[in-house]
Amino acid sequence: MQVEKTAAPAAGRQHSASATDAVVVLDHVSKRFGGVVAVDDLSLDVMRGEFFSMLGPSGCGKTTTLRMIGGFDAPSEGVVRLDGRDVTDLPAYRRDVNTVFQSYGLFPHLNVFDNVAFGLRRRHVGGAEVNRRVQEALELVSLAGYGKRRPGQLSGGQQQRVALARSLVNHPQVLLLDEPLGALDLKLRKQMQLELKRIQGEVGITFIFVTHDQEEAMTISDRIAVMNHGRIEQLGRPEDVYERPATQFVAEFLGASNLLDGVYRGTLDGWGSVELAGGDSIRIPAPPSALVGDKLKVGIRPEKLHLYPDGREAPSDHNSIAAILRNAVFVGVSYQYFFDAGGGRQLSAFDRNAGGGPIAGPGEKVRVAWKPEHTFVIPADGMAQPTPTNHQTGRQDK
Amino acid sequence: MTTLRELPEFLDAAFLRGLTQRRITRRGALAGAGAISLGAFLAACGIGGNQPSAATHQNWVWDKAKKTGTLDFGSWPLYIDTAVDSAGNTTYPSLVEFTKETGIKVNYSEPIQDIAEFFAKIAPQLQAGTPIGYDIIVITNSIQLTNLMLKHWLVELDPSKLPNFYKNGSKRVQNRSFDPGNRFTIPWQSGFTGIAYNTKKISREITSYNDLFDPAFKGKVGMFTFTQDTGNLTLLGMGIKPDNSKPSDWQKAADKLKQQRDSGILRKFYDQSYIKALSAGDTVISMAWSGDVYQANLSAGNEDLKFILPKEGGLIWTDNMCIPVGAAHPVDAITYMNYVYDPKVAAELAEAINYITPVPGAKAVVEQDAAAATDADTKQSLTDTANSSAVFPTDADLAKTYYYRTLNPAEATQWNDIFNAVILS
Amino acid sequence: MAVGTATVRRPALTTRWGRALAPYLLIFPGVAWLLIFFLFPLLTLAVTSLMSGDFVAGFQFTWNFNNYTYGLGLYATQYSHSLEYGASATLIAFLLAYPAAYWIAFHAGPRKSAYLLIILLPFFVSFVLRTLSWETLMGDDGPILGPLKSAHLIPSDFRVLATPIAVTFGLAYTFFPYMLLPIYASLEKIDRRLIEAAEDLFANRVEVFRRVIFPLSIPGVFAGVLLTGIPATADFVNQTLLGGAGTTMIGRVIEQQFEVSANYPLASALAFVFMLGLLAMLLLYQRLFGTDELVRAR
Repeated sequence: MQVEKTAAPAAGRQHSASATDAVVVLDHVSKRFGGVVAVDDLSLDVMRGEFFSMLGPSGCGKTTTLRMIGGFDAPSEGVVRLDGRDVTDLPAYRRDVNTVFQSYGLFPHLNVFDNVAFGLRRRHVGGAEVNRRVQEALELVSLAGYGKRRPGQLSGGQQQRVALARSLVNHPQVLLLDEPLGALDLKLRKQMQLELKRIQGEVGITFIFVTHDQEEAMTISDRIAVMNHGRIEQLGRPEDVYERPATQFVAEFLGASNLLDGVYRGTLDGWGSVELAGGDSIRIPAPPSALVGDKLKVGIRPEKLHLYPDGREAPSDHNSIAAILRNAVFVGVSYQYFFDAGGGRQLSAFDRNAGGGPIAGPGEKVRVAWKPEHTFVIPADGMAQPTPTNHQTGRQDK
Repeated sequence: MTTLRELPEFLDAAFLRGLTQRRITRRGALAGAGAISLGAFLAACGIGGNQPSAATHQNWVWDKAKKTGTLDFGSWPLYIDTAVDSAGNTTYPSLVEFTKETGIKVNYSEPIQDIAEFFAKIAPQLQAGTPIGYDIIVITNSIQLTNLMLKHWLVELDPSKLPNFYKNGSKRVQNRSFDPGNRFTIPWQSGFTGIAYNTKKISREITSYNDLFDPAFKGKVGMFTFTQDTGNLTLLGMGIKPDNSKPSDWQKAADKLKQQRDSGILRKFYDQSYIKALSAGDTVISMAWSGDVYQANLSAGNEDLKFILPKEGGLIWTDNMCIPVGAAHPVDAITYMNYVYDPKVAAELAEAINYITPVPGAKAVVEQDAAAATDADTKQSLTDTANSSAVFPTDADLAKTYYYRTLNPAEATQWNDIFNAVILS
Repeated sequence: MAVGTATVRRPALTTRWGRALAPYLLIFPGVAWLLIFFLFPLLTLAVTSLMSGDFVAGFQFTWNFNNYTYGLGLYATQYSHSLEYGASATLIAFLLAYPAAYWIAFHAGPRKSAYLLIILLPFFVSFVLRTLSWETLMGDDGPILGPLKSAHLIPSDFRVLATPIAVTFGLAYTFFPYMLLPIYASLEKIDRRLIEAAEDLFANRVEVFRRVIFPLSIPGVFAGVLLTGIPATADFVNQTLLGGAGTTMIGRVIEQQFEVSANYPLASALAFVFMLGLLAMLLLYQRLFGTDELVRAR
């Protein structure tokens, strides 16, 4: 009954493979559990060799999507392709994909070596070869010499590495990682993020990484799909998604954002012009996908804001608005300020702690300024508009 | 009899009686083997290393004891006449009459369902010299009864207080090998151990012990698991009178049984469940107790089963009334023991119990009752009782029945080891 | 503040003794129970087994090892019957219980408890009654064999009752729940994510069972085998009701020696040997299939 999986061509596993070569394709995939839609008509290409993250709050459908790629859940509709082959109806054990589970899923009755060797043995790899590859995999995750231990004798971080080695040892076409760092403490977590990135670079396997931690996603991913309500809100490189969030959800989920209501007034000197609700006029990168008179929201990341005490003018090439400092919080590397910008608008800003204390005291007037190119624009209704930011970040519908 | 018996809880005596009308045998009603109480194990632990009782003969009892007006009587289930009063309570008419005549109130109970089990329960108390709470107990002739007598745990009876027994009791029951001179016991009721067979499955007449060894019945023959019954009947079958037998005879009998077992003729050594196997057709011929066969036919509504005493000789056993030492009301007890030897009382009991009554004179009374009966069912039933050889055996029957070999403790051990080597294999 | 600390500390000091004693107080009832109801009878058993004498004359302690040699010589076959039937019954119970437990644990969905109850329902009836009804059901001319014989599908002298087979299956049936429940519990406990992990690592359904589910259910199997094997080996009621000539198990011999023959020393010796034998096998079994390592690893 043993069905050999189609071995991926050796070249396909190499990092040198073409970056435009999609290894996982989801084509209009939906998943419903009873009446609940977990994944809603989702299409996605994951490129060979990339570190791809699915980011979103719990219940956004990211884990379900991962499970459909892994073969643990069958899509209600749509097609899953793996390396060009339709695997929609293929059970998990016949897919050339491995998963690192959030719970690790290590077999408690097997020692580390046997855990790692499990997949190779199921594929009838010879004993000597198993030995060699398991040792190699354990070295890769810095656990050489731990082969005889039982999972119960390892720390959380070590278990996590075993789970990683257990999957990597099989040289899968794609490695799925379901919140693998979720159970680790912060320090270990940061360390493992870097290590994951290193390992992915070394083995060149496509990683699909699910997390609810935006910082984690940005740290390690080549591309990020931000998901909400079973859909992709935005897909792109971390910088693009962060600097130019396409929706209010993305703007708020990825880091803090200052969002201000305004109306588009047309272009001026190569900039777009927006009249804010409080009457200030600001410049934005042009041209936005908006018509003159359209309502929209503009956003600025808190760390992009510069503060000037009352009386000092902001540089003329900056947008600036007046505000009253409400509170200054010392957070070590920086101060975090909270302002009242009039009309009930709340702003927050980070300012590097370069010595010299806070820029102003509570109740004092300040000017808040930022470069126009740091402004991003979101349609005023705030609804998700999955508009790919550029040609390489999204999959165009046919 | 040392049977393994347990009455399933829902099979209460009144229910069974209703089901089977009047003619029910005690042993039949108790059909079905039971779990064996391991409580006996712990109880037994208290007996280790005992010395012979200091108390010897209890004649002084009769000089000092007075009638008290109370009697605690412990017997077996379904072993006395019963009626239901207007309030729905079970009453015992013969005991009511006894109270009326003597002024002695009887506390009747049925604590005995298995000799070994009951013995294991009372032995530690008797050993410790504590009264067991009964003035009369009914014990089958057995190793346990012998032990009770040898341990001087029974009150020696005063013959002068048992005129009815000596006047009305049959000669057979006045001469029981296990209690010569009736020093400690007198019979309550008796029964036979012989052979029963299914006349539908065996066309020829069965007359001999050796028919139990007929290869034609291979795999369909039942024997008793009780060493006393099986051993003694086999001795008789080999022409050896039990009481004259020696250990070498016992070994010969065991060898004969071994051959029956090894040749596959024997199906199983049965306890009380033998009658169920015989009725169901699992066996076609089996060692049997007289009353059971009568009862089984009655239940089945046919005459398929037949009980015979083999021509080589059958066994008679007796359930005996006796007074345990420490009994609080010995005079009341012996008064009752004498009372049941009145033919009228014996007839009343025989009509209800249908075992061998120790009082032959009861037959005339039963016949009179039958003649006086008004409804046809009762008349038929009483006539059957009067004519039943299971209640009033013929002299010819009695002449070829023997009691078990009486065994002292050392002999009992030897006997059991010899026969158990075959039976418990 | 200082006052508050003092008032808090005082009761802590007074409970220090109580805290130190607590473990002993907690285990005391259990230890006392074992002493009274296990150790004492065991000791009595050992002492009794070395006595000589008879019931009427009384039994004296005489270092009578003869009880052991005599008993073993006389009843070796019955010991081997116990082993043979007990082991076969355990195996049969395992083969029947495992699939049932597996199905309930993994495929019965939300009605698990209902199915468990249905399977265990017959065992609410006294086992003597159950075994008695077996006797009726499997009779030579009973409702199962009767029709088969009429149809000449089996020879007319074929029988189930009064055979070792009947004893073995009777035992397997009697102790079935003791096999089923621990296996079910261990299967139910298995982390379902481990099964997905195995599938993810290319194990098909058969391999998932062989490599993950079965190994993880071994503690349950281990317990089930003990809970079934020990009482099945010691049982004598099944054999009394369902067995025939030549199928006697040692439990029945011990019971007869105790209750009927009142040969307490011999009965004690037989029981003691039986107990030691079981203990030896238990230790061996534990050694061979023990779950110490697995438990520790968790």
